[in-house]
Amino acid sequence: MTNWQNLQPRSFLEASARDRAIGLVDEGSFTELAGPFDRVTSPHLELLGDAVAFDDGIVTGIGRIGKTPVFVISQEGKFIGGSVGEIGGAKMVNTIKTAIDFHDDLVAKYPDLTDEEKPVVVISFETGGVRLHEANAGLLAHAEVMDQLQKARGKVPVIAVIGSKVGGFGGMGFVAAATDAIIMSEFGRLGLTGPEVIEQEMGKEEFDASDRALVYRTTGGRHKYIMGDANFLVQDTVEAFRKQVAELAPLPVADFEAMRRIGSPEKVENQLRLVALAAEMQPKDAVDVWAKAGNENAAGLLDVPFAEFMSTVKRLSV
Amino acid sequence: MALHTLELTLEPATAAGPVKAPTHIGVTGSSDLEVLIQPEDLSGKVSVKLVTPVTGFDALWERVLRKFIDETSLSDTRIEINDNNATPAVVLLRLHQAYTAANAA
Repeated sequence: MTNWQNLQPRSFLEASARDRAIGLVDEGSFTELAGPFDRVTSPHLELLGDAVAFDDGIVTGIGRIGKTPVFVISQEGKFIGGSVGEIGGAKMVNTIKTAIDFHDDLVAKYPDLTDEEKPVVVISFETGGVRLHEANAGLLAHAEVMDQLQKARGKVPVIAVIGSKVGGFGGMGFVAAATDAIIMSEFGRLGLTGPEVIEQEMGKEEFDASDRALVYRTTGGRHKYIMGDANFLVQDTVEAFRKQVAELAPLPVADFEAMRRIGSPEKVENQLRLVALAAEMQPKDAVDVWAKAGNENAAGLLDVPFAEFMSTVKRLSV
Repeated sequence: MALHTLELTLEPATAAGPVKAPTHIGVTGSSDLEVLIQPEDLSGKVSVKLVTPVTGFDALWERVLRKFIDETSLSDTRIEINDNNATPAVVLLRLHQAYTAANAA
């Protein structure tokens, strides 16, 4: 198993799913559930003659941060783009379900449990969404994860961490948006339709997916932080992500309600104001919106060092 | 169309014993593979189960695996591999990585 101490200063962007899962919780506390030794591989890929993985590209398990039990889900982008199929989806669903059941049992048994002793779920996204090889099962898995997120709401906070190569796109972009809090690094990317797909469907004039600067200022962490799609922006180290999770983990579940971007009439109103602003502004580029948010040197925000960005940036509020 | 499974039983020239701890290494990424390696009483032999989309290279797989067993003198060990078009050099590298990790644990 990877050395936890060595893992902490390392780039989150380059960390494997298993290293992220181990490194996001306290040292030595991670126990993998339905791991590679259980050998649960995708039956669909086998039929199609495609390579399989012993963990189906998703690491699930439980660890601890301080006094908080942390249920971890971590997606591996190197295995078919982190796509979610039947097995990986079931692992996600059951991890959240286990967290909810655990919470209910715990609260029934120990009614005066403090907030920091109640479980949270952390999902490290690295995925393009549904695994098209097993599309129906994959879609169903997305719906079931959504279902569990709704069941977890008000009981078990679900924290999304996004800072891996593939980002969080496709159906899993929706799932990420439906979590309680989102932590990103500037290298994290979040969206629904991924850059390549937009280019393929709408043409290079609409969106040039090979223009990495364009991709990052449209889907990357800095933009998402300004827009309020991400709640927190952290440095690209495993430690920085873990510390942000550790700050959130002991909070009362009610505090997470305020961090949500969707899920109440007020939040829908806010989203509608954003849509109205976009219709009124007709922005040609993300930078236009950054300027609207009150950033005087909006274009410069792309290149300033992280610390300077964090100290000077103004976030959009509508 | 279906995935190709190759099962081999190999015996080292001199048996140095099994790996210490069950270990998992690697990701079945493109041109890569993952390895499960674990000690098991197999009367001095090494059992290998390999799952790959590639066909027609069974003899080469056997040579690579035999080289690994000769280099490590591994015995009483079960090895399972999920491969996704890795080259022999990468296969040997991952096997050694798994061997090292399994003995360091």
